[in-house]
Amino acid sequence: MRNLKGNFVSALLLLFAIAICFLSALKFLSMQKKEAIFPSRGLTSRKMLSSYFPELKKTWGDTDVYLYEGQEKGGNLLILGGAHANEPAGFMSAVLLIENIQVSTGKIIIVPRANNSGFTHSQPQEGNPQRYSLESPWGRRHFRHGSRLTNPVHQWPDPSIYINPAGQKLSGADSRNLNRCYPGKKTGSLTEKIASGIMELIKKEKIDLALDLHEAAPEYPVINAIVFHENSADLAALALMELQIEGFEFRLEASPLNLRGLSHREWGDHAQIMAILLESANASHGRLKGKTSPALIVEGKDKNYTKAAKLGRLFVPYDEDGIPLKLRVARHLAAVKSILSNLEELYPEKRIEIKNMPSSSELKKVGIGPFLNPPN
Amino acid sequence: MVAIFVLLAMLLKLPIGISLAFSALAGSLLGGEGIGLRHLVEGSFGYFDTILIIVTAMIFMNVLQASGILDTITSILLRTFYKRKLALLLSVMALIMFPGMITGSSTAAVLTTGALVAPVLMKMGLSKVKTGALIAMGGILGMIAPPVNILVMIMGGGVDMPYAGLTLPLLIIVIPLAIVISLWLGYRDIKIIEYEKMKAILPPSYSKKYGFRLYLPLIVVLVLMLGQSVLPRIMPDIGIPAILLLGSLIGLGCGRPFNFFRTTQKAIQQSIPISCILVGVGMFIQIMTLTGARGWILISFLSLPSGLLYLGIATSMPLFGAVSAFGSASILGVPFILALIDKNAIITSSALSAVAGLGDLMPPTAMAGIFAAQVVGEANYFKVLRHCLMPALFQLIMGVAVLHFAPFLDKFI
Amino acid sequence: MQIVYHLIVFYLTCHLIWCLFREKKFWNQVSVALVLIMFLLRLFLIK
Repeated sequence: MRNLKGNFVSALLLLFAIAICFLSALKFLSMQKKEAIFPSRGLTSRKMLSSYFPELKKTWGDTDVYLYEGQEKGGNLLILGGAHANEPAGFMSAVLLIENIQVSTGKIIIVPRANNSGFTHSQPQEGNPQRYSLESPWGRRHFRHGSRLTNPVHQWPDPSIYINPAGQKLSGADSRNLNRCYPGKKTGSLTEKIASGIMELIKKEKIDLALDLHEAAPEYPVINAIVFHENSADLAALALMELQIEGFEFRLEASPLNLRGLSHREWGDHAQIMAILLESANASHGRLKGKTSPALIVEGKDKNYTKAAKLGRLFVPYDEDGIPLKLRVARHLAAVKSILSNLEELYPEKRIEIKNMPSSSELKKVGIGPFLNPPN
Repeated sequence: MVAIFVLLAMLLKLPIGISLAFSALAGSLLGGEGIGLRHLVEGSFGYFDTILIIVTAMIFMNVLQASGILDTITSILLRTFYKRKLALLLSVMALIMFPGMITGSSTAAVLTTGALVAPVLMKMGLSKVKTGALIAMGGILGMIAPPVNILVMIMGGGVDMPYAGLTLPLLIIVIPLAIVISLWLGYRDIKIIEYEKMKAILPPSYSKKYGFRLYLPLIVVLVLMLGQSVLPRIMPDIGIPAILLLGSLIGLGCGRPFNFFRTTQKAIQQSIPISCILVGVGMFIQIMTLTGARGWILISFLSLPSGLLYLGIATSMPLFGAVSAFGSASILGVPFILALIDKNAIITSSALSAVAGLGDLMPPTAMAGIFAAQVVGEANYFKVLRHCLMPALFQLIMGVAVLHFAPFLDKFI
Repeated sequence: MQIVYHLIVFYLTCHLIWCLFREKKFWNQVSVALVLIMFLLRLFLIK
């Protein structure tokens, strides 16, 4: 009798565990559904990353690539968003470009979700929401807020120590960090394959200049920054001056020679292209953040960071108004614009001309929503 | 949340893991997040890999016992060292530290070589609880010692510092501590014994019966662990759980026969309490982050005037280790490195790792303490922790001293 | 390597379920169930 009762309780607890698995699985799996992006009329073609590197086909590393080709020949630009899926300004800047621009000279290739797998899960113990939403004239649009790393379900287990394709020793979890895996490894892990795919894209599309859009915590020293490979030192310096005239403060950081595996280092070294990484300051990304919510991501207001700024612990100005997503996106797009105008200045044959680029002053004023396209 | 935890754990005497899970749930409800099921489950996944290591290490330890390897090694060590106290203590310390040095995990050290040396120390007169303390401290020092210090890797990852040039600073911290701590805990109590007396306490050795193959599981595990850190390009990195399980399976045919399923079952039963604590802690942190409590704690420590910053580091990092030493390195270590950015980050992170490593002694998780108590057969791990107090203080002082003298050390490194 | 780890998780999940039924004390059973949730979710490659 005692045994039977014990087994009954065990069975109930087993059912309880299965029920919790089922309910939480619904939430976890909902992250696999991609949010729609509605490209502008200027889109000339859409491909998958696997068309450059077939090994990625039918994996979670395969991702959308949007091509905008002008009538006239010019330079070729790659814009990468979503290398870290928890840095929404990078992803959102890419989305705004995809939904708005037309290219008349040169070619622009945009990869909004560089690490597609990172968008399918959230990082444990960060308490992040799965989604945030933005109001547009055509209703609310929802976007996933993913993780910095590839989903462990797609790449597992982590090694104890990760030695990346460039030979740098890192902690095991960094094996799932796309921006530590360059120049990639064709027979390597999923993340290394994604990095290889991007390197193949750079080579096959004859990219001249590549921009990697990121965000970082306000307490992190490389912030509001333009990080440049020595190939693009002049370009970065000129762009910085132009941005300062427009009222945007940026700091200029040379890509460190001894920190290997990052986009700005390996793109420049291995593909000999001009490589630049942009960072904006995101409070929801930091360790000091207060209550974590979609509002923190979009509005960027946080009391803890205001306090930290007063204590002099931050590397960016931060007050009660916070640093909203629209401002972070505006900064990224302003930087893209000034980098392109100076590219023409330095290398006229590599000119790239864009129409309908959302202006940073308008973005700051009206927000992101009005620049989003209606569903089609 | 903390009040609810204390109520459940202390007054109602619920298991710690479950108390943590319930207080996380309560925190979520009070914070206006509803039941927050997704958050609770997601939080626990922060420790999934750790739990895999713990369970497989526990299986390996049980295999060592069941197959007679443990008895044999104890007998060899006893025969070699029964007359030499200093040599015994120092070599035992080095042995305990070794798996920690190459895996960066104190659990791996305590449950493998820690389990091997425990019977020797106890037979030579060291009390159960002091043996436990020595093993726990050895595990922690092994975790901090080069070549692999995951705490530094985690902190380095947060500030983009490459994992290079750390051997010397880490050795400067670890070697003096290893010598002082092993002597402090053992020198007075360990007795030199007569040959006859030694013979009487000698456990059975299976070395003649099974020959070389008896040692195969240990050799395979050590070679694979060492290989992935020393020759990473040649040796495949199959991860600690797979290495330990492979060693356990090999043990099946190398010594006294035993039932592998029963051994696994025993290991699972032994590892459930700590696994459940980790699940609870994971949920607790997730909800703390979600509600903003984590950020509030951090900003409070960073608000300390700079003179008190060291005090903040010395108290908050080990205390936060109640969650886990790795969590402490990531959540507190990174902001502290940034707060001390005017100093050499390599030395700062080495020193901080020595302080954060102590977190493995902090209840309720107290991984090093709990496993060391289990290895020596002590039911109440607090008794082991009591004897860790002075050695931990040595380590804390060492860590803070290195932080303070970083500019001076910088000239030599 | 993913297959090896999948097998390890499968093996340990079976043992956890077995343990759940052998455990006599209620709160110990709850502890096993909490740990089991994670193993099941990873076994089915959900989280």
